[in-house]
Amino acid sequence: MFKLDRKLVTIGMTLALSSTLAVAAASSAELGVYKSKPGAIDGGVTYPREKGNYTAYKYNEQSTKGVSFGRPATANEIKAWDIDALPDGTGLPEGEGSVELGDELYEAQCAICHGEFGGGGKGYPQLAGGNQDKDENGIVKTLKNQRQYGKTDAPKRTVGTYWPVATTLFTYIRDAMPYAHPKSLSNDEVYAITAYILAQNGLEIDGEEMDDDEFVLNKEKLMKVVLPNRNGFYPNIDGPNAQEDIRAFFADRAKSIGAGIRCMKDCKDPGGQDGKTEAAVVKIKYEMKDVVPPYAYAKDLPPETEGGSISKAEKMYDASCKLCHANDTMGAPAVGDANSWESVMNKGMDEVLVNAIKGTGGMPPKGGNMDLSDADVKEIVEFMINSSKKKH
Amino acid sequence: MNRETEEKLTPVSRRDFFKKTASVSAVAAASVMAPGTLLADDENIIHHVKWGTTLGDECNSNPYGVPSLYEHNVVRRTSALMSSAGDMHAAISMTPLHELNGIIVPNGLHFTRTHNGVAHVDPNKWRLMIHGLVEKPIVLTLDELKRYPSESRILFLECPSNSAAEWKGPQFGTLQFVKGMMSCSEWTGVRLKTILDELGLKPEAKWMLAEGSDGSEMSRTLPVEKVLDDVMIVYAQNGEALRDEQGYPVRLMAPGWEANLCVKWLKRLEFGDKPWYAKEETSKYTALTASGKAIQHFYALETNSIITSPCPEIPWTDLKKGDLVEIQGLAWSGHGTIRGVDISFDGGKNWVEAQLKGLVLPKAWTRFSYMYKYEGKPLLLQSRSYDDSDNVQPTVNQEKAVVGVEGVYHRNAIQTWAVNAKGEVSNVQIRS
Repeated sequence: MFKLDRKLVTIGMTLALSSTLAVAAASSAELGVYKSKPGAIDGGVTYPREKGNYTAYKYNEQSTKGVSFGRPATANEIKAWDIDALPDGTGLPEGEGSVELGDELYEAQCAICHGEFGGGGKGYPQLAGGNQDKDENGIVKTLKNQRQYGKTDAPKRTVGTYWPVATTLFTYIRDAMPYAHPKSLSNDEVYAITAYILAQNGLEIDGEEMDDDEFVLNKEKLMKVVLPNRNGFYPNIDGPNAQEDIRAFFADRAKSIGAGIRCMKDCKDPGGQDGKTEAAVVKIKYEMKDVVPPYAYAKDLPPETEGGSISKAEKMYDASCKLCHANDTMGAPAVGDANSWESVMNKGMDEVLVNAIKGTGGMPPKGGNMDLSDADVKEIVEFMINSSKKKH
Repeated sequence: MNRETEEKLTPVSRRDFFKKTASVSAVAAASVMAPGTLLADDENIIHHVKWGTTLGDECNSNPYGVPSLYEHNVVRRTSALMSSAGDMHAAISMTPLHELNGIIVPNGLHFTRTHNGVAHVDPNKWRLMIHGLVEKPIVLTLDELKRYPSESRILFLECPSNSAAEWKGPQFGTLQFVKGMMSCSEWTGVRLKTILDELGLKPEAKWMLAEGSDGSEMSRTLPVEKVLDDVMIVYAQNGEALRDEQGYPVRLMAPGWEANLCVKWLKRLEFGDKPWYAKEETSKYTALTASGKAIQHFYALETNSIITSPCPEIPWTDLKKGDLVEIQGLAWSGHGTIRGVDISFDGGKNWVEAQLKGLVLPKAWTRFSYMYKYEGKPLLLQSRSYDDSDNVQPTVNQEKAVVGVEGVYHRNAIQTWAVNAKGEVSNVQIRS
């Protein structure tokens, strides 16, 4: 019996091994340049790490066992950062807030972006509103709306019509709102605003209407909120089968997310609701041209900006004078050397200017750049003097 | 020219000398050549150029180099349409794909998506906590993270909203705005599995929460299966530290998956047995289909491609009939490696095989190329990629038939450029 079992196990293993090899061989020979394995959770392939090779990459195959840096996280540190909450309410903090307080806070801190009563209209996400009616399959009907150049209303993705779970509303407001001052609200205030938004969506908790100023939301009540679109998402990501449900969903790409066909000659591509409407060339109807910075393609110099960091005098100095005057190795007074410039200035500004224009000692007229006007030279000399004053 | 004459010639008179010589030779040439083939002399060759007669900048005048001033128009661009009411803190900027070469995007041109502005994290105060269903929860500083053995991979990053404006029809007139929500870089960091091997991941750990430290506290849930396969924590981009816009000092890198999952300014990784249902994986980043149900946990960006030359910004208006010209573009797939790209000139009725060129890497941009004899005829130019997960890029109709037009995310339908008889290129769609 034992022998037989072992034999079966061996046969099973051989079969499993050979089928894996067959798959691997098929995929590397037929489908790509690298050895790969299909069936990844996202619908793609994975690549083996073998003998220091990982697709085109080499990697260090020496053991990394024992590599360990960092330090244990303390209980207080984990408590400070681990404040997320799960859909079942795990992790929600204590506290409470009323719809009335939420109304007040919302008007003061949220309405400016999200509109009165969460109704949107300011360009930021709309939080309430939209028709929550469902069809016979439990699908929110308006989420099936398909817009074509304004012919149909857009599907509204509000808390009441679209969001799957309410704990998300609490954690997001607490962590990321108000927009300009995230994390500035207390837990009580977050419960209050959450209550207000849920109330604006006409929701109930255990049959109890929330649209009442006196309604107070807390952890226990928030856990019980079931949003209308709770089942409006696929693939399934909950429970022990989640990973396999996701894998199966993405494996069937043609059905789940759309895929093409590699047709090479006389290909047909009909569409429309009946799948029979001939495809046509559709041009841009309203081109979006308002982009920042505006479209520009020239390979030219950027326009001079007023009050740029470098003055015209400094630019001229850089181009014509800096080579000799940056330091004293050429015998010229170095810019920034106050003592040298003090002795230069003993001659008086007029003589310094004449020397700069006509040349003196080893210095050629205008530093060798005869394109400079006398006025330019004056500007440069002033820049050099100002840059070489004693600092007090 | 003897030494004496040369010394007498000032730079100005030298130029005059060449000018005269040039006109004489042009006259001489005209007497022997047909007028139609007479070429004018190029001033840039005949005369000295400014940069050849002046001293350049000092060697290290820009201690951190900057592009040539002449390239000042090669920048990321954004649009009020891609923000909330024109507020540019929660917005996106587009990479100028038409100006890029090869498969690496310069760091300053990498597209950027922010949900609460670009955070500026002090690396000395930055901490990463890894906890939850692990035997040893830890805290790492940046220096400690960098002590782990590093790996580098060339990977594309794409916002799943890339082309989202185009579901209902073409909207933007440029390559930059049609497909610019993506970039490709060499990323360096630590393979997460290397760290987890030492922390002792518990068998019931099925999900990982990744959380950012910025004002939006970006949070996403990833399956552990992916985490253990190829997810990295990266701190370098094309050899240097991440840019602030890319999550300095550390972001998550989930190769091939939504850039939004590659959480920036990373702060915390928690392992659990249930998914978290964070805001950016429920209210947003879920793709509403025509059935009224939405695809959630939509991870990998599907096989995709775009012709980058010609494109609206770089048309064929300078070509003459008979010119042999390269059509080229980019293909990528978050499911694996690009196997090939086909090109159509008639809007998808007939196709020819393009060739791949350069590096062909998994989950990275791959360049394709096709030599085309320009005939000055109107064309409907398309590219169609396929990958080693046996996926083929769909037509607009094929994608629309399954997901409708309200999905926002993961649009990978074939792109069409209409080329008119003048060689001008515009964005059109072939659809029912």
